[in-house]
Amino acid sequence: MNLRWYHFALWALFILVMALIPELVSKGTLRIIIFANFLAIFAISWDVLSGRTGYISFGHPFLIGIGAYTSAILTKRFDVPIEYAIPAAVLMTMVGGIIVFLPALRIKGSYFALVTLAFMELIYQLVQVVRPDLTGGTRGMSGIETLTRGAVNGYYLSASLMVVVALSMWLLMRTQLGTALSAIGMNEESVRGSGLSTTRLKLFAFLTSAFVAGLGGAFYVHYLGSIAPRALFDINFLFTIIVAALIGGASTIIGPVIGAFFLTFLLEYLRPYLPGAERYFIYGMIALVLYMYEPKGLIQLFSNAWNSLFSRRESAGNQNSDQAGKQSDAL
Amino acid sequence: MQIIIQGLLLSGLYALIAMGFTLIFSVGRVLNLAYGAYLMIGGYVYFTFSQTLGVPKLAGLLLAAMVGCIVGLLKYRLLVKPLKGNHVAVEISTLILAVVIQAAVVFIYGDSSKILLPIIPGVVQVAGASVTYNLLAATIGSWVILIGLFWFVRKTHMGRAMQAVSMDTKGAAISGVDPDKINMVTWGISGALGATAGVFFASYTQLSPSMWVAPLIIAVAVVIVGGIGSIIGALIVAHIIGFMEVTAVALIAPELRGVFTMLLIITVLIIRPQGLFGREELQ
Repeated sequence: MNLRWYHFALWALFILVMALIPELVSKGTLRIIIFANFLAIFAISWDVLSGRTGYISFGHPFLIGIGAYTSAILTKRFDVPIEYAIPAAVLMTMVGGIIVFLPALRIKGSYFALVTLAFMELIYQLVQVVRPDLTGGTRGMSGIETLTRGAVNGYYLSASLMVVVALSMWLLMRTQLGTALSAIGMNEESVRGSGLSTTRLKLFAFLTSAFVAGLGGAFYVHYLGSIAPRALFDINFLFTIIVAALIGGASTIIGPVIGAFFLTFLLEYLRPYLPGAERYFIYGMIALVLYMYEPKGLIQLFSNAWNSLFSRRESAGNQNSDQAGKQSDAL
Repeated sequence: MQIIIQGLLLSGLYALIAMGFTLIFSVGRVLNLAYGAYLMIGGYVYFTFSQTLGVPKLAGLLLAAMVGCIVGLLKYRLLVKPLKGNHVAVEISTLILAVVIQAAVVFIYGDSSKILLPIIPGVVQVAGASVTYNLLAATIGSWVILIGLFWFVRKTHMGRAMQAVSMDTKGAAISGVDPDKINMVTWGISGALGATAGVFFASYTQLSPSMWVAPLIIAVAVVIVGGIGSIIGALIVAHIIGFMEVTAVALIAPELRGVFTMLLIITVLIIRPQGLFGREELQ
C-alpha cells in the first residue's frame, strides 16, 4: 500500500473541507456542488476503466443509465423500497459491465471505443421502444422517490458518497491490483508476459467501473427524482464525464474530482453570459486547449507549478544554478 | 418493390456519408469523431448561402464543399498533426471538437431545427412508390462521386500514393511519397465529401445542432462492418444497412430503425474485428 503520513493528512483535509462547505456557501452554490459530486463519481468510474487500462469507453452513460433506470423502475413501478432497489441497480449495472466486457476480450483501441458508443446508442433507442409502460418511453419518468429533501441534506449525501467512492478507489488503486491495471494501459502484452491473467484483470476493472457507475447512477436518479433518455444517453453527457476525468488528470483519483468541480463551476459561471447550449463552445474550447497543452491534466499543471516553485526557492541564493534552470527552461 | 426503391435511395446517401470517413480511417488511421460535424457544417453553409442569401443552389453546394475542405485541412494542421501517433488523444480531441462545433452552430443559428428546402423540388412515382427528386438527386450525386473517387484512388498518382500511405506509411515515405502531404489531401477531400453529403442529408432530414450524431454512427457502422481501406466494402455495407433500416421501418416498427444497425456493429466487431471486407485490423 505504501501509505505516508501526508496521505492521511491530505485526505483528512479533503474530508474536512467537504464537511465544512455547507457552512460557508449559499444554497444555490451547494446545489451546483451536488452536481459536481455526482459528476466526480462518474468521472472516477470512467477513469478506473479507461484512464487506467487504456480501454477508452465511449459508452459510460450506458452503465450509468442501467443503474439509474433499474432503480427508478423498481421503486416507481414495483414499489420496491429504495434500500433494496439501489443494490439491485448496482448488480444490474455490473451485469451490464460484463456485457461491455465481452467485446473487450477480442478488440482493442479505437474499435473498443466504437463498440461502446454503439452500446450507448442501442440502449438509447431500445429504452424508448421496448416496454414504454416501464421506462416511460421518450419522455422518461418523473416523480421518482427522492432520498433527501433540501440542498444541505442532498449535499451531505452526495459528498459522502463521493468521498467514500474516491477513498476506496484510491486505496484499491494503491494495491498491486491497481498497479497491474495501469500496466495494462501501458503494455498489455508484457503484463500477460509476466504471468498475470489480463482477462481477469480487465474483468475486474470493468466490474469495478460498473459498480461505481451503477451506484452513482442510482443515487443520482433518486436525487433528481426524474429521468429522461435524451438527457442521459447523450453525447454531451458523455463528453462532460470524459473531459472531467481528462482535464483533472487521468489515472489519478483526485484528478477527476478536480476536473468535475472545475467543469461544473465553469459551466455555472458562464450561465449569466450565455444562457443556452452555446456555453459548450467556450467550455469545449477551454477543454480542448487544456487537453492539447497538457494531456495529463490540471493535476500535472499544479504539480509542475509546485515543483518550479519549490526548486526556485532552493536555488534562490545560487546564481549559477538559477541560470542553469533558466537555460533548461528555455530549452 | 417500395422497399427496394427506398432502400436503394437511402443506401446511396449512406454510401456518400461513409465515404469521407472511410478515407480518413484508411489513410490517416485515426478515428475522426468530428466527421459528423462536417455534415452539419455543410448543411448550414448551404442553408446560409442558398436559402438566406439566394446564391444559386449549385454554387451553394460548391461553397459548402469548400468550407468543409478548409475545416478538414485546419483540423489536420491544428489537431491531428500535433497529436501524431496518439490515437486515443485524436479520438478524444475530435470528440471535444465536435461538441465545440455543435455549440458554435447553436451560437450562430439558434437551438431550433431548420428545414432545408429540397435541392430539386418535385416527386415522381416509380412503381407505386413516391420518390422525391431530391433524394433521387442525392443518390445519383453520390454514385457519381463514388465512381469518381474510386477512379481517383485507383488510377491517379495521388490516389495510388494514398493507397500506399494507407498500407504502410514508412514504406511509402521511403519510395518518395510525402505522407504529410497525402494526409493533408485526404483530410481536405474527406471534409469536402462530408460537407457535400451533409447538404443532401440535411435536405433528407432537417438541420439541427444535434444532427451530427446520426450520420457519424452510420459512417462508423459502414466503415467497421465494411473494413478498413475497402471502398467497395463500404459501398456494399452501406446498402446492407440502408436496406436493413428501410425493412425495419416498413415491416417491424419505425422506432427500431437504428437498433439493427447497432446490433450489426457490435456483432461484426466481436466476430470479425477486421470487418467483412477489410485487409487488416487497426493497431
